[in-house]
Amino acid sequence: MYLFNSIIPAFGRATPSAEASGAASATPVIKPTYDVQETSASYQLVVQLPGVSREGLELTVENEGLRLVGRRTWIQPTGWTALHRETTDASYELVLEHDNAIDADQATAELRDGVLHVTLPKHETIKPRKIAVT
Amino acid sequence: MRIVQYRYPAYRSLIPASSVFARSPWSGMEAEFDRLFAAALPPSTNPLFPVDLYEDQANAYVRAELPGVNRDDIHVEMTDGNVSISAVRKTPPVDGQPEQSASFSRTLNIPAEIAADRVTAAYENGVLTVTLPKREEAKPKKITVAVK
Repeated sequence: MYLFNSIIPAFGRATPSAEASGAASATPVIKPTYDVQETSASYQLVVQLPGVSREGLELTVENEGLRLVGRRTWIQPTGWTALHRETTDASYELVLEHDNAIDADQATAELRDGVLHVTLPKHETIKPRKIAVT
Repeated sequence: MRIVQYRYPAYRSLIPASSVFARSPWSGMEAEFDRLFAAALPPSTNPLFPVDLYEDQANAYVRAELPGVNRDDIHVEMTDGNVSISAVRKTPPVDGQPEQSASFSRTLNIPAEIAADRVTAAYENGVLTVTLPKREEAKPKKITVAVK
């Protein structure tokens, strides 16, 4: 992408509507690898966030969706020279929509070794229920 | 985690760098594209992980992003100027799915001369940092030359 943006400058500029609304993409963000598994009672979300500790993690669960921002806390020491870089310093951002399917009060999350496990219990209204036929 | 140190006899290729059998000028770019395509594949088929290589006056450092791995499943080995990092990530069995494991492996060539018996490694927040101390003779020294 950088190659295209450098050859054709118009591709690199943000669209006028995004600039006018002051989009949050002023600082670069990267989307983390994530996986969602559905069980009968909850959704299990596993997000890979290497380099993010509990201080840099911000998880918000609302009625419409889930927003996750992870900032890397490691700063390169001043004496170090980078010989080869494959990682990026950008923060992680993940936005998922669920449209009232989650009971936000009972959501739990655990961050261990750079992997975040979030348990999102399903809302009562969407759980399957038996209907008696009279 | 264990650190294993090997000693192999030094292998010097007799092929000069300018001959037709040497590495082509495109091999570096080809390696980058191979890495880009491999990174786009699902983790089960892609055994690579991002690494950064740093150095300062006393050490060389390798930082590898390996989230979700147990410390016992990370292996760092030193072989004659190359450091090899391999890890196995096991996902615990969820109802219906058996335990899955994905293995990762990467070998890096460290340009500096390393004291292989003093290499240490630490794993924090899913990032493995390997500290490779340089040998004394490889550290930059200031030599003052008197001009007559």
